[in-house]
Amino acid sequence: MNIQKVAVIGAGVMGASIAAHVANAGIPVYLLDIVPEGASNRNGIAENAVKKLLEAEPAAFMDKANAKLISTGNIEDDLPKLADADWVIEAVIENLQVKQSLYQKLNTICKAECLISSNTSTLPLALLKKNLDDSFTRRFMITHFFNPPRYMRLLELVSSPATEPSFVDSINQFADIKLGKNCVTCKDTPGFIGNRIGIYWLLYGLLDAIEHGISVEQADGIMPSFGIPKTGIFGLLDLVGLDLIPPILKGMKMALPQQDAFHEVNHLPDIVQKMISEGYTGRKGKGGFYRLNKTEGKKVKESISLATGDYARSDRADLSPLKDAQKAGLQALLSHPDPVAQYAWRVLSHTLCYAANLIPEISDDITGIDAALRDGYNWKFSPFELLDQIGVPWFVDKLKSESRPVPPLLAKNAQMYSTSSGRLEFADLSGHYHPVRRAEGVLLLSDIKQQSKPVLENNSASLWDIGDGVACLEFHSKMNTLDMDSMALINQSIDKVNKEFKALVIHNDAENFSAGANLGLLMKAIHDNDWPAVEQLIKQGQQTYQRLKYAPFPVVAAPSGLALGGGCEILLHCDAVQAHAELYMGLVEVGVGLIPGWGGCKEYLRRCLSQPKRPGGPIPPVIKAFQTIGLASVSKSAFDARELLYLNTHDGITMNKNRLLADAKALALAKDYSPPLPFTYHLPGFTAKVLMDMGIKAFRLLGKATEYDVVVSGQLAHVLSGGACDFTAPITEDDLLALELEAFVALVKQKGTLDRLDHMLKTGKPLRN
Amino acid sequence: MKNVVIAGYCRSPFTPALKGALARVRPDDLAAQVVKGLVSKSSINPDDIEDLILGCAFPEGEQGLNVARLIVFLAGLPNSIAGMTLNRFCGSSMQAIHIAAGAIQMDAGEVFICAGLESMSRIPMGGYNNMPNPALYKTFPQAYIGMGDTAENLALKYAIGRKEQEAFALESQKKAYTAQQQGLFADEIIPITGKYGTVDKDGCLRPESTAEGLAGLNPAFQATGTVTAGTSSPLTDGAAAVLICSENYADAHNLPKLARIKSCAVSGCAPEIMGIGPVVATRKALQRAGLSLADIDIVELNEAFAAQSLAVLKELPIPADKLNLDGGAIALGHPLGATGARITGKAASLLQREHKRYALATQCIGGGQGIATILEAL
Repeated sequence: MNIQKVAVIGAGVMGASIAAHVANAGIPVYLLDIVPEGASNRNGIAENAVKKLLEAEPAAFMDKANAKLISTGNIEDDLPKLADADWVIEAVIENLQVKQSLYQKLNTICKAECLISSNTSTLPLALLKKNLDDSFTRRFMITHFFNPPRYMRLLELVSSPATEPSFVDSINQFADIKLGKNCVTCKDTPGFIGNRIGIYWLLYGLLDAIEHGISVEQADGIMPSFGIPKTGIFGLLDLVGLDLIPPILKGMKMALPQQDAFHEVNHLPDIVQKMISEGYTGRKGKGGFYRLNKTEGKKVKESISLATGDYARSDRADLSPLKDAQKAGLQALLSHPDPVAQYAWRVLSHTLCYAANLIPEISDDITGIDAALRDGYNWKFSPFELLDQIGVPWFVDKLKSESRPVPPLLAKNAQMYSTSSGRLEFADLSGHYHPVRRAEGVLLLSDIKQQSKPVLENNSASLWDIGDGVACLEFHSKMNTLDMDSMALINQSIDKVNKEFKALVIHNDAENFSAGANLGLLMKAIHDNDWPAVEQLIKQGQQTYQRLKYAPFPVVAAPSGLALGGGCEILLHCDAVQAHAELYMGLVEVGVGLIPGWGGCKEYLRRCLSQPKRPGGPIPPVIKAFQTIGLASVSKSAFDARELLYLNTHDGITMNKNRLLADAKALALAKDYSPPLPFTYHLPGFTAKVLMDMGIKAFRLLGKATEYDVVVSGQLAHVLSGGACDFTAPITEDDLLALELEAFVALVKQKGTLDRLDHMLKTGKPLRN
Repeated sequence: MKNVVIAGYCRSPFTPALKGALARVRPDDLAAQVVKGLVSKSSINPDDIEDLILGCAFPEGEQGLNVARLIVFLAGLPNSIAGMTLNRFCGSSMQAIHIAAGAIQMDAGEVFICAGLESMSRIPMGGYNNMPNPALYKTFPQAYIGMGDTAENLALKYAIGRKEQEAFALESQKKAYTAQQQGLFADEIIPITGKYGTVDKDGCLRPESTAEGLAGLNPAFQATGTVTAGTSSPLTDGAAAVLICSENYADAHNLPKLARIKSCAVSGCAPEIMGIGPVVATRKALQRAGLSLADIDIVELNEAFAAQSLAVLKELPIPADKLNLDGGAIALGHPLGATGARITGKAASLLQREHKRYALATQCIGGGQGIATILEAL
């Protein structure tokens, strides 16, 4: 079944943002809600929801124009319109009667091939479909999204024996490929997988911190050491909303078997009760465990004392006593006598044991649980991966030394995952290993890295053979910044691919493709007044990227996350980009007092000049480039990167990150490849520089540009105008590279640039000097 | 010498650029409807028209080529009418009137359509390809100074405070709104029909303006300045046209004679205070007419900026009850090329309505110029 039209009923936060994400996939979607009593606008709720979506932070839409794909309406007047929907998602209030009466109406309106699903997080499927006949149950299941649906990659699927498998397959396909979700098949158990374990972890962390006098900063500060996002326990509780805890606890209490360990953490501490009753429900309320106090004209981050309930200024926890242990590894950290380390041990060991004991109750094997925590809670190492990181035998011994029961899964296996003849396998309850299965069209660099040795390798980058004559260049330095080693490996890769491969893909599976050039190297050269070294740094990057551009084989980049500065410039030099939809790409050099020097100005200007829809004449493309680079514009998605002209219309976008590498590989295997022809530039010369100088001067008068912005923009304007050229006489790519070099070197010699660089390296934020 | 008269005036509604009702109307179509409306209203024989002279400040894109000639075709006028596009920035269509008057007086034609046009939605101020001369910019950067900065300069030079500017703007809004409510624009407006419906009402007016509201606006051009969006004329889409002919022709064909053109002038001044341009131009025109400022009964002084208008008023003390009776550009809008035809046509029709004798229409012009026309009722 081909899903071409979707409907979401219930325009609350979840329903509305699910609709937004369906729109992100380019699929038209109805969004309906009730008609409030006495409302003059019968579609008011849904219409307001769309308005809020447009302002949501982080953005719900990948492109604001997607909002037009949402048709708003109300349940009383518009249900008949759903006759053409292929998938109806119910996201209404968690009330069985309300849901069931809606299902009955939908069942008569929706066509037989339309799947109906519920986004419930607390009601079991068995209950939802109770007393409803086959014509409904055959097309009914639970599809449980995580908040915010655009960013959280988990989709939990729960079907019943009555659900026709073809429906489940269609949803799986659609959610995977169009919505970019990683679907995890769950059983009809309370909280499914993600929340069953996730909420256990949160509650354990909350109760234990109260009991042992651990502060919210300490609790949240230690969690990232284990690959858990920096929101930790309390930051996440604030994000989720404290008011949601009581109903979840109530539901769990009723639904879980008596011996379930969840009951041990199933009670609401007084302090949380008090916070909820006073409106401190988290970020959506007056604040939560953390709050922003704006009383004295300034915003001060405060946190609550779990002992007294009073707020005080929040400072990062001092974890310096644990510094050595953190370096020594997870075992050292977890066995450290410091109270915060002991807290971490208690919380994690109980959570991991709980997870291990839930197989096969909530998931047939460990991969389902791992996928749910990775994609639903953003754990870098999901529970069983974390156990492997810690070391299962050590973990088991420590449990024994504390006279705690050892989960059978851990007693049976020394490793949760292992590799056998290059294939990743997972352990089961009986001590056997089974291969980890990947869906068709999913190719993960991490799997390839498990299975093979790199073709080339140094400290910053590696080249891998990903099959079918395609090589993959991986950056793996810190934040994937680009340094001399990266450049060296690109050059070696070009030679290697030329001789032994058909095509090159540039990809890595880190959160961010590349944060840009390694500024530390540049800083050193500047501090040493070593201008030849600066020039060399620029020239080497320029030459390397030019070689990549004109290599006699296809070069396709497959970026995800941030691609900034030099990391953006390399993308601009590829034949094509297959982008993950979540791509935040930009030439941000002006923020550190520089201009793009590795061909970024040259390539971006080419895009502006060759854009078919641009206004005529020599000036508009130059101004467009000046605005984009001068404002350090970063795309808010891959679709936005297209709007910004960072991506070409022929560049592809992949919604599911797991499919990115395979899609890029397919693109790289294009037949009849010939390298691009050099571009000749007709640029206006000094007149354009004058125009841009006038523009920046007006900005300065208006207080929107700083003193040093004027200097940096002046250099940028000089490059983009083409320098001392005339628009009747074309100039070459090399001419532009020379202008970039000249401007770059001129800027690094100035104090303003040095101050900006220093500030960025120290604080991670741009200096407005 | 032959007498030259204004025998008809009309304009399109003026609407805000980009967000107004005319934003999606092509400027050539817009002006063609106004010209067509003028011809049909005046019941003149089109074959007698010598030339369509049209002013436009950024004649490119959809208002490019020789758009005046294209408007002849679009308006369904005979091919025998010539077409000329001219540019004196904001003074363009007043200049069109001067050119026609001169031509009539030297027997180079009897009847002219003098029009003006600007779509500030569709052609950006400065044009798509502004290419300043680097050498001139180096030695004389004020040649390219932004208009907002010239207003700030005048505010400084004449010590015109923000409050004074805001009071002036508010007064303009009040006069325009009252005139609109009383239907005083109905006669002059030609409804414009486009793909997206018909527009028959001015859209720039902000009758909800208050002193407090204006006081709360951020400076529009300089962080430490006094000029705001509320005390500047808005970017506007619009077109205007007047029918100019010899007095003999008007008499022979029973055309209404709104006013006789008594004298005209242009002048230059320092570009960085371009807004003061009307002062010298007006003095020259008065002298050529043999009149003094006190003789003038009706004044249309274009309100590019409140600060600019107030600076002019310090040099030319014009009583408030003679000035911009139906409001000025701050409220009505300022489609650059079209404004000259509007205020000259307006001044002529006000002479009729108010039963007065002499009128002055004058405006400042980017680059440091002024233009003025003195009219006399017949």
